[in-house]
Amino acid sequence: MSQRRVAITGLGLISPYGGDLVDYFSRLLAGESAVRYLLTDDLPRPLSIPFVSCPGFDPDSVLGKPLASMMDRFAQLGMAAAFAAWDDAGLTRAAGEESRDSWGCAWGTALGGTLAYEKGYRELWQKGRERLSPLAVILGMNNAANAHISIQLGLGGVSMSHTVACASSAIAIGEAFRRVRSGEASVMVTGGSDVPQAYGVARAWEALRVMAPGDAETSPSACRPFAADRRGLVLGEGGAALILEDWDHATARGARIHGELVGYGTSCDHTHLVRPEVAGQLRALQATLDDAGLSADDIDYVNAHGTATAEGDPVEVGALRALFGERAAQVPVSATKSMHGHLLGAAGAIEAISTVLALREQAIPPTAHLAGNLDPACEGVDHVLEGRSGLRLHTALSNSFAFGGSNAVLAFRAADAGNA
Amino acid sequence: MDSLGLIRQFLKDRLGVEPDRVTLEAPLAELGVDSLMMLELMFEFEDRFGIKLATDLQTPKTVGEMIALMDGLIASQKP
Repeated sequence: MSQRRVAITGLGLISPYGGDLVDYFSRLLAGESAVRYLLTDDLPRPLSIPFVSCPGFDPDSVLGKPLASMMDRFAQLGMAAAFAAWDDAGLTRAAGEESRDSWGCAWGTALGGTLAYEKGYRELWQKGRERLSPLAVILGMNNAANAHISIQLGLGGVSMSHTVACASSAIAIGEAFRRVRSGEASVMVTGGSDVPQAYGVARAWEALRVMAPGDAETSPSACRPFAADRRGLVLGEGGAALILEDWDHATARGARIHGELVGYGTSCDHTHLVRPEVAGQLRALQATLDDAGLSADDIDYVNAHGTATAEGDPVEVGALRALFGERAAQVPVSATKSMHGHLLGAAGAIEAISTVLALREQAIPPTAHLAGNLDPACEGVDHVLEGRSGLRLHTALSNSFAFGGSNAVLAFRAADAGNA
Repeated sequence: MDSLGLIRQFLKDRLGVEPDRVTLEAPLAELGVDSLMMLELMFEFEDRFGIKLATDLQTPKTVGEMIALMDGLIASQKP
């Protein structure tokens, strides 16, 4: 079977900003940070960190209490994002005349139901309980989100979860892309969700010494990718979903097309668990271009992984310099994590959505908190310091580089460019 | 709270079932109680009434059977 073109017909986001996609992207363009100071009531040592949460997300009202009560928060965020993307695609939640037996779901999560597990541990070890809730397993399992999504939307094809640290949802999107492109599925729901605020999880990240400090005043600017004074990443929760659809299937039903997914590449550094390598990242970047039939000269924007760690940022810029060569200084690059934080298993998905919106709106969001503050080690690309609009963008990349050395890159094309 | 009250509150909280539907004759499955929720409900009895459930406990089919089963355990395990 010949390769199919892959349209993006639905986008769904449960983000800290709380509004719709237009609101989300306008806030990114304005450089507005969603990072806030988090002080928990855990005793004797409360969490005291910059964090990104979704305080406006009420799972009972969005999903209904019977469904919400069967899910850990990561699955709730994922299900809500998937519903939003599905509705955005103009698909009916109830089964229609067309069979969905080959339609599927590929979902990314780095942590899965860690809140549920942690609650169970507290019951056992703090409260001395003899047994756990009978829901403990199904709340905690990593494939809970995709299982619920497939059940609720009647998807009879593959239902799989991808746990690849910070590249989880980029890989989920890429694997879903391959299913649609091959003709195996005409529709795939994909994306990711994570909730890193379990006490033990947040403490584990603290122990890695990669989390940015901050208080009530400084937290909004705590995440400063590529900046000389960057102090590390800011964790956040959220859910982000995309509907990938066979282009012909989408146009036949008159669907609105946000953009086109044209390439996906992966690699492994195979050198170190947490020290990234230019060579490995470059392999993923080049594999993506090859997969899409593009050259580096075709790329108009890169949404960087850009976590604001000391080691990660210069390596990523080094990989981009190597990819783009003499043109590197003219290629716009921004790290939207500076505003929406690091959603771990949902990072690739929220950044994929941000990239698609950049192509759709012909505008590039900035790396916040970077103006006048660039680390010389991160020089060599066109860092976007303020939002840019009124552009002519055709093709963009979204990078996801994970602990473990797993790298994934997605290539997107503007919908109108794809038709040209 | 008695056993019927516990079941009514549980089903109202979890499934939005109105209490007047929770009669002694009502089949639990028709109220939306699946095998997992049956376990949850039984564990709720453990927590509220301080009883211990055997692992080979029979599965009640109606609200009345559930109440009879639980009330029997509560009575037999009174200190």
